[in-house]
Amino acid sequence: MNTILNVKNLSVNFNTTQGIIKAVDNISFSIKKGDCLGIAGESGSGKTQTFFSITGILSDNGSAKGIAEFDNVDLLKLNEKQLSKIRGKKIGFIFQDPMTSLTPHMNIENQLIEVSMTHDKNNKNDALMKSKEVLDIVKLPRIENLLKKYPHELSGGMRQRVMIGISLMCDPLFIIADEPTTALDVTTQKEILKIFNDLKKYKNITIALISHNIGVISEVADKILIMNKGKVIEKGNCQEVLISPKHEYTKHLLSCVPKWMK
Amino acid sequence: MNTKHYSKDDLDNILSVKGNSLYSDAFKRLLRNKASLISLIVLSLITLLSFFGPYLLQYDFYETDWNSIYLPPNIENGHYFGTDGNGRDLLVRILYGGRLSLSIGIIATLVSVSIGVTYGTIAGYIGGKVDTIMMRIVEILYAMPYLIFVIILMVVFGRNIYLLFIAIGAVEWLTMARIVRGQTISIKEKEFIEASKSLGQSSLLIIIKHIIPNLAGTIIVYITLMVPSVIILESFLSFLGLGVQEPLTSWGVLISEGAREMETAWWLLIFPGLFMVLTLASLNFIGDGLRDALDPKEY
Amino acid sequence: MIQLIIKRLIIAIPTLIIIIAFVFGLMRVAPGGPFTNERALPPEIEQKINEAYDLDKPLIQQFGIYLSKIAKGDLGPSYKYKDFTVNELILSGFPISLTLGVSAIVISLFLGSLLGIIAAVKRNTIIDYAVMGISLIGVCIPSFVLAPLLSLFFGLYLGLFPISGWNGGNINNLILPIVSLSLPQIAIISRMMRSSTIETLNSNFIRTARAKGIPRRRIITRHAIRSSILPIIDYLAPATAGLMTGSIIIEQIFGLPGIGRYFVVGALQRDYTLVSGVMILYASLLMFLILLSDILRAVLDPRVKIK
Repeated sequence: MNTILNVKNLSVNFNTTQGIIKAVDNISFSIKKGDCLGIAGESGSGKTQTFFSITGILSDNGSAKGIAEFDNVDLLKLNEKQLSKIRGKKIGFIFQDPMTSLTPHMNIENQLIEVSMTHDKNNKNDALMKSKEVLDIVKLPRIENLLKKYPHELSGGMRQRVMIGISLMCDPLFIIADEPTTALDVTTQKEILKIFNDLKKYKNITIALISHNIGVISEVADKILIMNKGKVIEKGNCQEVLISPKHEYTKHLLSCVPKWMK
Repeated sequence: MNTKHYSKDDLDNILSVKGNSLYSDAFKRLLRNKASLISLIVLSLITLLSFFGPYLLQYDFYETDWNSIYLPPNIENGHYFGTDGNGRDLLVRILYGGRLSLSIGIIATLVSVSIGVTYGTIAGYIGGKVDTIMMRIVEILYAMPYLIFVIILMVVFGRNIYLLFIAIGAVEWLTMARIVRGQTISIKEKEFIEASKSLGQSSLLIIIKHIIPNLAGTIIVYITLMVPSVIILESFLSFLGLGVQEPLTSWGVLISEGAREMETAWWLLIFPGLFMVLTLASLNFIGDGLRDALDPKEY
Repeated sequence: MIQLIIKRLIIAIPTLIIIIAFVFGLMRVAPGGPFTNERALPPEIEQKINEAYDLDKPLIQQFGIYLSKIAKGDLGPSYKYKDFTVNELILSGFPISLTLGVSAIVISLFLGSLLGIIAAVKRNTIIDYAVMGISLIGVCIPSFVLAPLLSLFFGLYLGLFPISGWNGGNINNLILPIVSLSLPQIAIISRMMRSSTIETLNSNFIRTARAKGIPRRRIITRHAIRSSILPIIDYLAPATAGLMTGSIIIEQIFGLPGIGRYFVVGALQRDYTLVSGVMILYASLLMFLILLSDILRAVLDPRVKIK
């Protein structure tokens, strides 16, 4: 099977004091193995909740309906225990704000090896070796000192690389990157995107790249999904959609991007 | 990108609209909370009874009757809650005690709030070193056993009822100061304060017009949570014999008497205790309800 | 770390002096001296007594003498218990109050935190409501209501525990006092822990931990607790202050001859030295606890810079 993720009729609702909010409204899409799918749209369009819902990391008041076939298993039918075996092992995550997304009181080394030791039941040495491999991939310098440092002692760019490293510890098939470059400056952004391209090329990892920044998506993605208010507006080949958008909303979104970025 | 230029009137309008919708929304939420609603009713009942009830009862507060000492609760002779060692009707005494306990609760709390809000807004608004010093003082005072201070004050200055109000208030302002300072800091950082400053409003005016109204919600919540503490503190003192003195009585005094006589006259402990617990519980529920209503983070 | 300790000590010592001065000043300023309640004495004898207790010297000098004695560890003679020094009185009451206090604080912290975590993890279930219910009792039924009630029920009706007396530290005599003393703090700490844990569990790094596939138990013990316990550490000193306050009442109700009892008696009888002595003891203990909680905080949270 060439398709690694097949989502059909996915809906995500949140139960709030203001009533039920429809974050994702009956969407369907699929991702081919080795591809990078960029998901673009404004804040609140449902892009993040789509992927959080199928992997079971929604907040308590959220619920999801539909089908999400990943690697021949419908994720939405699994319970928490089963999902936690897949998260971190077959599916890796990269979150938006690396400062608050890393545990403040654990050093980098522990946060990295924790993943291997949970899933692959490695002993500490094997896990340590793997963590050094992974740090090479994300191009973090001076390995020895680094592992013993705490998140607040690193720069934003370094922290994000650590996050990427964490997601790679168990050689995942699929990585979900939620606004990975939003908190970073432009130069660091470029470096991070290069890492994504390398992951695609050399490791054949499928990537879902969520971002409200179309420029970022265009650098890495093969296919693109445009979302607004919980619905899929347009989807297709990244370059095609960006050069000749068919839908009004897509055109509107593109018009907000400065011309030199295109 | 469009930059909107706000005039002073626009600012005031925005702030007042925000204020109204927030409070009416919150009030509705509060009423929907069942625990709060029941508590409001219970509390109102107790308050009304304390202040107006005695006029409806047949026995007087002072009335001693040596033929009727230590009577258990009884419907026929009108001593619904029984009598104490002097033949005085317990129900009337509880209601009178309620007047005192509740009054102290409110007045001392108001004293605390005034001190606390003033202190907190100044510390939060000025910030920097002044803030650090002020908060350090609060931190150290917060860790002091307040009862001990109050006892010393009461002993030194005599057992004056008005002093009681002030002494208690002077001790309880710390929590309020902390909370208010925290809120002031976060309000200060909001953009409309910047806008006000750039329009030339003086600091004092900013504090009065913008910061305090936004604090109102928090202050109200903490008032309802502070009144129980104050009532408990007064009761502690009265229990030890340092608070309210004869011929006045409060729930603390009644409970203290009841604890002494509990082996033979359980009603002397249970009924005042019941009133106190109901009042404290109601205040807590209302406070929780208010807090949820004004800050709906939990779903 | 050493810098932190030194910095704290530098603040603590003047603070203590101010507190001592405050109490000293109040006691002296109050109408009536320590001996006015007793039989009227002939003036010469009164003069001699005043001299012996340094009461005829100017206030500042009295204060200076007092401070220097304290520095040597001598809290002075009791004005009321004429044959005893304050040190002796405090030492006699100390073991009792210490047993009571330490037990109460250990129980409050552990039980309170545990209940809070359980309530947070099992949020909005029966367990949560049960824990919050117990906590409500602790908040709404003050210790001086609870203690007699417990005595009445468990002591008199069920006859399980004695309702007063120290009895040489017999465990049976300790149970009711310790329970009455700790329940209010358990209530406060469990609520605090519950909301702190809920907040921590909603934070981003917990989401990352979940995303890594780490099992729930490890997330709580290894990632969440260290963050959620921070407010409790800050509450350590006020909690102890609360227990000190409560112990005064509890010792009274259960007839335990601890320091709290001496304090109340001393306050009522204007026994200056006794009251000051107890005050100094409590204040020093609390300063120490503030230092301890600062150190703990620095240890648990690497983000805290030890300036």
